[in-house]
Amino acid sequence: MGRPRSFDEESAVARAAELFADHGYEGTSVDDLVRGLGVHRGSLYSAFGSKRALYLRVLREHVTALESDDEDLTLLLRAAVERAPVDPDAAELVGTGLDVLGRRLPATPDDRPAALARLLGEHLIRRATTPSTTTEDT
Amino acid sequence: MTQIDITRDQLVVTMRGLDRLWTLRRRIAVPLTSVRGATADPGVTRESAGFRAPGTHLPGVITAGTYVKDGERTFWNVRRSQQPVVVELTGQRFARLVLGVDDARATAERIERSLTRR
Repeated sequence: MGRPRSFDEESAVARAAELFADHGYEGTSVDDLVRGLGVHRGSLYSAFGSKRALYLRVLREHVTALESDDEDLTLLLRAAVERAPVDPDAAELVGTGLDVLGRRLPATPDDRPAALARLLGEHLIRRATTPSTTTEDT
Repeated sequence: MTQIDITRDQLVVTMRGLDRLWTLRRRIAVPLTSVRGATADPGVTRESAGFRAPGTHLPGVITAGTYVKDGERTFWNVRRSQQPVVVELTGQRFARLVLGVDDARATAERIERSLTRR
């Protein structure tokens, strides 16, 4: 039911991933999504169901992309800090993401946790010391 | 006042007091399998609800009853002092419910959690 989709769902998910990575889950309002994705509020709800459902889809696709690409880890790290402690589904996806990353590291299974911690730590430090290139909404 | 209860397999919305009058409804029960999600959405009341059919609308104060917008039927029961939560449905008379509650974030999480358990 509902009206036909008048927007490209894949590009909407990609744009939502940028917003969630930049502002976090709570920091991204439905208004931000409506504006940033350029879709009607009703279309957003009928396409994705809820903000959380959209967030979990974004996170799932991010985790899948970690298999191959040298993805930016900001979304995963933010999810680990913000959502994993309060959302079991997000926690499971974060866990899968960390497993995927760990398996990609050139380390023996014993050394993997340390190598993973180092990778995540380096990413955090790089994020913290590199000026943001994205334009912030005012 | 809107009361939202989650039973084993249903989402039950009960209108209390005068809200029955504004919305012309006492109760809406939806199977949890027809609930796609719930979102705290403070901005939803800044947009037009659509055509009233039937219901009560005091601009900026109360939006209650059945509204139709872009061919979708939405049930509203929000007043200014409340926080709106949007419940997206599928295969039901209403495409979605926009309900005013005291704590929209907690309500949305509670509904979302019941869907996770399913």
